[in-house]
Amino acid sequence: MPSYIELKNISQSFQVNDSTITLFDKLNLSIYQGESYAITGPSGAGKSSLLMLASGLEQPTTGQGQYVKNDQIKSLDDLRTDIGFIFQQFHLLPELTALHNVALPLKLRGDKLAIVKAENWLAKVGLNHRKNHKPSELSGGEQQRVAIARALVFEPKFIFADEPTGNLDQKSANEVASILINCCHENNAGLVMVTHSEKLASRAQQIFSLADGKLTQPNNSNPKVMLCS
Amino acid sequence: MFINNSKLAWQFYQQEHKQAHQRLLRWVQGVLLLFIVTLSQSSDSIQNYLQHNLQGLLGADAVISQKQALSAQQYSVVTTLASNIVVTQQIKTMFTHQGQWQEAQLKAVDSRYPLQGELLTSKAIQDEGQVTKSGPELGHIWLDARLLASLSITVGETLLVGDQYFLVTRVLQHEPDRLMEGHSVAMRAMINTKDMQALNFAADLIQYRYLLAADPEQIAALINWQQQHLPAAQVLHKQGKHPLALFWQRTENFMGLASIILFFMAAIAIEQLAQVHMKKDQYFTAVCMSLGASKRTGIQVSIFKWFIGIVLLLPVVLVLSTVFHYAVINFLSETFTELTWQWDIFSAIKPICAVVGIFAIFHMPVWLALYNSSVAKQFSGNNKGLNHWLSKLSSVLVLFGIAFGYSDNGLLTFMMVTAVALTIALMIFISWAGLTLGEKMTQQVSGLIPFTLFMMKQRLISKSTQILGVGLCAFLLLFTLMLLKDLGATMSSYQRQHDGNVFISQASKTQMDYVERWAIEEDVNVRQIKPYMHAKLVEVNEQSLTEFSEKPSDSLSTFSQAIRLHWSQSIPENNALVDGQWWQQDSVQWQQISVEQEVMTDLGLKLGDWLTFFINHQRYKFEITASHEFKPGAGSITFWVQMPATALTHIQAPQYNMASLEIDDDQWSLLAPLWQKYPTLRMVSLKEITQLFDNTLAMITKVISGFSLMIVLLAGVVILASINALESKEKKKNSIIMSFGFSRATCLKLNVIEWLVTASITAIGAILGTYIAGLLIYQSQFSLTYQPNFVWLTLTLALILSVITGLGVYASRANLRSSVRELMSST
Repeated sequence: MPSYIELKNISQSFQVNDSTITLFDKLNLSIYQGESYAITGPSGAGKSSLLMLASGLEQPTTGQGQYVKNDQIKSLDDLRTDIGFIFQQFHLLPELTALHNVALPLKLRGDKLAIVKAENWLAKVGLNHRKNHKPSELSGGEQQRVAIARALVFEPKFIFADEPTGNLDQKSANEVASILINCCHENNAGLVMVTHSEKLASRAQQIFSLADGKLTQPNNSNPKVMLCS
Repeated sequence: MFINNSKLAWQFYQQEHKQAHQRLLRWVQGVLLLFIVTLSQSSDSIQNYLQHNLQGLLGADAVISQKQALSAQQYSVVTTLASNIVVTQQIKTMFTHQGQWQEAQLKAVDSRYPLQGELLTSKAIQDEGQVTKSGPELGHIWLDARLLASLSITVGETLLVGDQYFLVTRVLQHEPDRLMEGHSVAMRAMINTKDMQALNFAADLIQYRYLLAADPEQIAALINWQQQHLPAAQVLHKQGKHPLALFWQRTENFMGLASIILFFMAAIAIEQLAQVHMKKDQYFTAVCMSLGASKRTGIQVSIFKWFIGIVLLLPVVLVLSTVFHYAVINFLSETFTELTWQWDIFSAIKPICAVVGIFAIFHMPVWLALYNSSVAKQFSGNNKGLNHWLSKLSSVLVLFGIAFGYSDNGLLTFMMVTAVALTIALMIFISWAGLTLGEKMTQQVSGLIPFTLFMMKQRLISKSTQILGVGLCAFLLLFTLMLLKDLGATMSSYQRQHDGNVFISQASKTQMDYVERWAIEEDVNVRQIKPYMHAKLVEVNEQSLTEFSEKPSDSLSTFSQAIRLHWSQSIPENNALVDGQWWQQDSVQWQQISVEQEVMTDLGLKLGDWLTFFINHQRYKFEITASHEFKPGAGSITFWVQMPATALTHIQAPQYNMASLEIDDDQWSLLAPLWQKYPTLRMVSLKEITQLFDNTLAMITKVISGFSLMIVLLAGVVILASINALESKEKKKNSIIMSFGFSRATCLKLNVIEWLVTASITAIGAILGTYIAGLLIYQSQFSLTYQPNFVWLTLTLALILSVITGLGVYASRANLRSSVRELMSST
């Protein structure tokens, strides 16, 4: 039975001066391990906030979130060790090589095979030949591929990606999107992407639109699964 | 344009005013300005005081001072060159009274004394001084209050000096010619000149002073005549310099040299802060340039902004330095009576300009980065180029400049700079080796420690700068405190071990023979005896000493008076040859001389130079053929200048001895009769030396404590600056770690481990640096073997470790306030 995240009737609002601004109200969303999800919507709709709530890093104003793992219901706090993030700005550590950036989460976990595993993952994203290069020596697309390898190397059950192709040209964006979706699928990781790109969104298995505080699912698509590299 | 840019800079400054990088810059600049301005103002006050003191306390318009009297012919010349003349004689002698003894300065004056100023005496200690028109009558003696108390004697009693009895008739309160005594705290007594003759002291032990009334023209003629005919005499006059002026110049130089350490720390702190300033100013300039403004606008705004910071800092610095200046003057007024505090803005302007100039050089990388970057580079904040390294080089040159400017003791400066350079090299090496080794060794081990070592190794350059900054602070603090602690302990134990507990600094041949016989009879252990004669250095390579060396130094100040010239066949056991060749035994060539290495460095002497000494009214020339240094382990009586023993057949002069004795507790009473027989025997107990040393140490403790406070303040700023420089990087690192599913507690643990590693490297580097500095400086400056106390050092290590870790973790707590959301929102 795959693990999943369940958000029930969650609302998120915040105070600005004396008025309350509600980002969304009574949303329901289930995210299953192994599935890919895209959340689209206009700027300021609350996509990133929804991502933070779903990953358990922030608490909703009202409503409840839970993490079901091996048929056991847990709080979203327990999700922390099972998630990875990918950012629009890549956020690689500039002083580390590509290899060491990827090995970082494994080293932190005390994995003795960190470097070997990192090399494998760099090979999977097609960057084995660039493993000793620092981020400043890599293109945007290459940096994001390193970031994908870094997010997946410790085999999280869910990946949260915030505009993963937002900083890339079309060609790089396509390559990165393919790698991201395929690698998550191959690794049986749930993928939640927040994006403005309809093209990227269309490659997810489930597409949601967040606008005016409502989460809607305009249509469902089920793109073909590709190999990781 | 100019006004617009200033307005923009002001606005920009106000926005940044409360931000950490501006606040820290204010602290660094403020602390250093405060130190230098206070030092300069205090020094100026003292120099002014000394000049004023010279006018009022010389007791004459000019004074000629020398050992032995002027010949009749010389005296008649001096009388023609002066309107009036009064002669005084001084000798250091031992006074004994009912089993108690006390060394004091005995002065003999005639009825014409004083020449100028007021002589104050009283009938009893507590009475106010009365103006007295002339000196004591025959058979009378006047003692100062301390001598009266020390000998437990009162006015009206009789006192035995040598074999003469004197009636104590008055309390000596003030002599108008006390200036000549300089810093001497010797107790005082005064008798009539005719009684001095009756006491029959050896002529060469008496210091003669000729107090002269003369106008400036006469003084000029007098100096001219003295240089020709009395080169070994010392002349002081109202137009000249105070005898202590050079001493205080040296004190200021020492403090200034010590301040290079503060400048070094400030340079590190500013270098760290400049990274943040650079990023902000580059971004601002890039925005300006992308909106069509010139690059010059960005640079001008940056310079104005920095200058506004300095200008606003100055009033605070001036107020605080005034308070500190007042406190220093108050503290020194114990030493210099009548030293009063006076505020002088002009004495503050020069050091402020110099220090602000130095700050500008330290801040230069920011402006160079703005000047040399394109818009794209400004946005990306790239600043590594040739200019970056040039500006670093100029900072190093500035530091060397400060060291050179304040240096009056070449060897000490060299040792200090070497110790600091070695410590820097050591810390860089320990950082590199420690982190590399730690990372390699823990590669196969899991956990947070290996990860921290790995990350630190990857950030080696920025980490090394941080370690260097913090480490140097710890080193300096440790060194100053250790110097304070060890100097006292080592000095007393060393002297006790090698020199016995009684020290004879001057004994004539007759006196020494008697002491040796007395020692055998009383079973007293004589540790060392070394002969010498007095010699005054007058010329180097036929150039007068004052012309040859103008820089104040220990050596020069000692050579301005007669020194002790030692002779020996072979190199003494407690000396080692540094350069040149020691003379052969019974060498016919007697005009050879060996000079101590530090003296050579201080005065800029080299082998082959010819020194002319004035010994017992005769000129003798010697060639420097060797240079020696002190070697511990065979007693501490050593001489700066030594000649072959064969020279004695060519030099007719009184000979003296230095010696050390070990006296048991029950033998102390034997000293009184010895002094009674030979009052001029200069003998002092270790207890008295220690007492004198303790008093000096107490004063040094106060000065060093104040200095340490400055170091602690700057150390804190350096730590904060290094954290501030890395803050954005650290925040990002923590956010990324949290994005891997780790909690904030993990980040905190990593932070603690990182600071523990930093502190360990820092502490080890600081202690090793201190050890090296100890070895170098103790030996060269104090002739002591450095014996570190390892228990004390270990405790210090633990203390440094906990303080740095605690402060580091506390100060970097802001870095933990990071979140994954920040990574999402950052662009």
